[in-house]
Amino acid sequence: MDYDVLVVGSGIGGMESALKLGDMGYKVLLVEREGSVGGRMILLSKVFPTLDCASCISTPKMASTIHHPNITAMTYGEVDGIRRDKNGRFHVQVRQKARYVDEAACTGCQQCETACTVAVPDQFNADLVARRAAYIPFPQAVPKKAVIERQGTSPCTNTCPAGIKTHGYVSLIRSGKYEEAFQRVADVTPLVATLGRACYAPCEDQCTRGELEAPIPIRRLKRFAADTHYGRKDLPNVDRPQANGKRVAIIGSGPAGLTAAWQLARQGYGVKIFEAEPQPGGAMRLSIPSYRLPVEALERDIANVTALGVEIATSTRVTDLDKLRSDGFDAVCVATGTPSSAKLRVDGEDLAGVQSALSFLRDIKLGAKPNLAGKTVAVIGGGNVAIDAARSAQRLGATAVHQICLERRGEMPAHTWEVKEALDESVQLHDGWGIAGFTGNLEVEAVDLKRCTAVFDAEHKFRPQYDDSDRQSIRCDLAIVAIGMGVDTAAFPKLAPNGSRALQANPQTLQTSLPWVFAAGDAVDGPTSIATAVGKGNRAAYMIDRYLRGLELGAFEGIDDRLGVMDKSQVLARQKSYTPRKVIKLSLPLSAHPQDFAEIEPPMTEAEARAGSGGCLDCGVCSECGQCVETCPADAIHLDMKEKKQEVEVGAVVVSTGYKLFAADLKPQYGFGKYPNVITAMQMDRLLAPTRPFNTILRPGDGKVPERIAYIMCTGSRDKTVDNPLCSKFCCMYSVKQNQLIMGALPLADVTVHYMDIRAAGKRYEEFYDQAKSMGATYVKGRVAKISEKDDGNLVVRYEDIENGGNLVEAEYDLVVLAVGVQPNKDPVGLFPEEKLALDDYSYVAELDEDLNPGRTNIPGVFVAGTASGAKDIVDSILHAGAAAAQVAAHLEEQAQAQRETTQAKMKVLA
Amino acid sequence: MSSVGANPSKPVPRILVFSTHNISDPGIDLAGSQHRHYSTGVQVISVPCTSGIRPGWIAHAIERGYDGVFIASDGDECAYLPDCSHRASGIVQEAQELLKKSGKDPQRVKMAAICSVCAEPFAKHMESFSGILAGLNASGAK
Repeated sequence: MDYDVLVVGSGIGGMESALKLGDMGYKVLLVEREGSVGGRMILLSKVFPTLDCASCISTPKMASTIHHPNITAMTYGEVDGIRRDKNGRFHVQVRQKARYVDEAACTGCQQCETACTVAVPDQFNADLVARRAAYIPFPQAVPKKAVIERQGTSPCTNTCPAGIKTHGYVSLIRSGKYEEAFQRVADVTPLVATLGRACYAPCEDQCTRGELEAPIPIRRLKRFAADTHYGRKDLPNVDRPQANGKRVAIIGSGPAGLTAAWQLARQGYGVKIFEAEPQPGGAMRLSIPSYRLPVEALERDIANVTALGVEIATSTRVTDLDKLRSDGFDAVCVATGTPSSAKLRVDGEDLAGVQSALSFLRDIKLGAKPNLAGKTVAVIGGGNVAIDAARSAQRLGATAVHQICLERRGEMPAHTWEVKEALDESVQLHDGWGIAGFTGNLEVEAVDLKRCTAVFDAEHKFRPQYDDSDRQSIRCDLAIVAIGMGVDTAAFPKLAPNGSRALQANPQTLQTSLPWVFAAGDAVDGPTSIATAVGKGNRAAYMIDRYLRGLELGAFEGIDDRLGVMDKSQVLARQKSYTPRKVIKLSLPLSAHPQDFAEIEPPMTEAEARAGSGGCLDCGVCSECGQCVETCPADAIHLDMKEKKQEVEVGAVVVSTGYKLFAADLKPQYGFGKYPNVITAMQMDRLLAPTRPFNTILRPGDGKVPERIAYIMCTGSRDKTVDNPLCSKFCCMYSVKQNQLIMGALPLADVTVHYMDIRAAGKRYEEFYDQAKSMGATYVKGRVAKISEKDDGNLVVRYEDIENGGNLVEAEYDLVVLAVGVQPNKDPVGLFPEEKLALDDYSYVAELDEDLNPGRTNIPGVFVAGTASGAKDIVDSILHAGAAAAQVAAHLEEQAQAQRETTQAKMKVLA
Repeated sequence: MSSVGANPSKPVPRILVFSTHNISDPGIDLAGSQHRHYSTGVQVISVPCTSGIRPGWIAHAIERGYDGVFIASDGDECAYLPDCSHRASGIVQEAQELLKKSGKDPQRVKMAAICSVCAEPFAKHMESFSGILAGLNASGAK
């Protein structure tokens, strides 16, 4: 047996049971869900009726619990399931959640909190203020160790094919850390400015804010970070690592090649890129028009790569891989992209004036801009390249540009916004037409069209159907074909092809049929996107590094560290309502007849960037911005930490999972969650506590110090309308306590309590109540029917004044405190998947014989302590937990005695 | 960092504080969080338990230039030893004896119980102890 007892939950009841059992000599495993032991008591201001400081008397107990030699306390842990075997012992599935902090190294200095760029409601301050995603639960936490809250991977980060920590750089920009945001992207790829302009931003499609008013402008934020970085004068500012003596050749300088080179060079590899074209950059340089991606932006990104020491040999076509090997390269990465164009295979395609889009765009980017003044241009294709060609033709002075595509407008592979921009620039779209052929005498004069009735078959395979009877002809002087791109598989005869359209490589390791040659990007995948190719370039670098260090290639954890993606509905459910934010609209100065290739999209202003990033909902909580990791002086933060599961065997179980507070918004007539100056008593206790968030009592709506404060008793207790007929037992007394503390802190404040009955049954409780009255608190008998809010944030309470004739009266207050009651915590039921833990009629853990045998449940060996079995104040919880500990001890001794008797009987038989 | 109202021309007594990880240190931390003012000459070292402090450490600190040593003890609430207060008072007495032997004023050692939220009492202790030490320094006492 690993432990004698498992105690689930470390509130005052759980700690008391654990300490008593530990003192008796039993080995105890205490599992606590939060990052610190202490439960709710440590968060309170004072306790009644003694007005002892709750923190002062809790902290020693918490410290004793953690340091007790017989108690093993697992904070930030979970019990996933408990199964009882035939011998009456329990097998417990325990999970140590990933804290992402090395507890042994963490000194509790809180520097990670200061550096963290994410703020979320602080549950330890009853949501009155925010805490950070990197946090120590509260100042008196035991252990005082940080936790990084990672609920999952944010949808934007999860969807980025490049593997960029999208949420991370957004939260950095929100915090004004623009250079850090640039570096966060540069951790993945040197193409920050390029992606900031030319990425199709699948992240924005996934942004949870899009479920509200609009997604946040993630791509433009990246461009903002790049623009800010490149506005510096000390560039390129790149640290060159120490050379490791190994060399890697990369063939192709597109996004995959440049990214692989960047990552390998940063690890000390000597990298040389071989580029067949006269300029580096691949399709980014030669295919994307400058009005979308200025050459200067790409050149700045590439300058970072060369500043690392990467050589780029342009106009150098490589086909002999063995020669690279003999020239001293230890590994090769083929990232040649998709430089060849697909053919239509129709009559007239060989006429002069019929040109591929890639060659048309390449000519423009290399400076040979044809004059199309007075000419009519036909562009064939419905994808992004076709759009680029059509809009470029407009800029070269064409009289008319006709874009012809098989698909109907809504089916076009080009992005909707791109099609719209093309139409705004006077491109004429002919959708739903196929190409029958080209006509002309040596030079193209017209393109003949036939109606396309369907592009895809029933299985959604590309299989166009035509109606040959429906035809038309469009006169043209130039026809630009953009119907697809392909890989030059013939360039590397030693590499196995994947069909006729790509090179073959292991999809995980990217290793080709030659072990020292890796292939990445569109050369393997066919035409994708810049971001996808970046992702593959990263993977290639990771695998090449492992290959050259002699490591197993099959380990993928280091390259994909995503957690499960966050559910958007779960994110949105964190708040009751959202205030719509002003959408940062992108208004492009589009011309109906554009004349040049100047960049269209204006840069973001700083104000726009801060406002745009401010809309982030922090879906995964931690944004993975990496600031905590960089800041921690003890190197204690490890975002690759995994949760640990184990099974332990115990002799008994104590369920001390506590209670839940009534959710005050279930009484909508009181306006909690709607009126900011209606708060719960737990929030008031935080305002009164020594560790209070504002160091004074103020109302949340406007920060005013309240002068008239009302309490509404029995909120959620003794109330069948919310399915809770029980009295919560301690609300009267904690309200009386708070009344006294408020009058001590705000001597001029008026405190009025609207109550049904004051239940002050306990030693010195009635005297405590009398003391509050003598201090000036007013107690008004009668239920409150409704609360409404005035323009100044004050609240009008409508109530029945029973002791003065039962009239309906209205009174105005600055602040209303709802004395919320106790709700059962049903979580313990889930702890026992094989045996049903019995609950009582009110859904608390049932005690079989609560009069004479408190603490015993229906499962032998399972006991309940504290408020898990019903509402109790602190004193009663401690008493009950002590009783449960005694029951556990009796059970363990009975078991031990039975074991001894069985052993003796066996020995007798043997004798 | 200088405290409000501090006279920069007047030397501030240097005080070494021994706190405890779980109880007095959070209280001292809270004094900072609440922006309470106490001498800038205070430096804090946190230890698990007051009983673990050695009298020689205290004497050594005074010897090496601290004007005083303050022990922020757990009082009767120590998580490790029920007689921690008794032991701690013994440590202070021994330290004072050591100081006497080396000709130093035993008032340079002080102990008080500080709880996990005793921000205000700690600030007051520092203010008064700093005053005592300034007086000792001004009078030429060792």
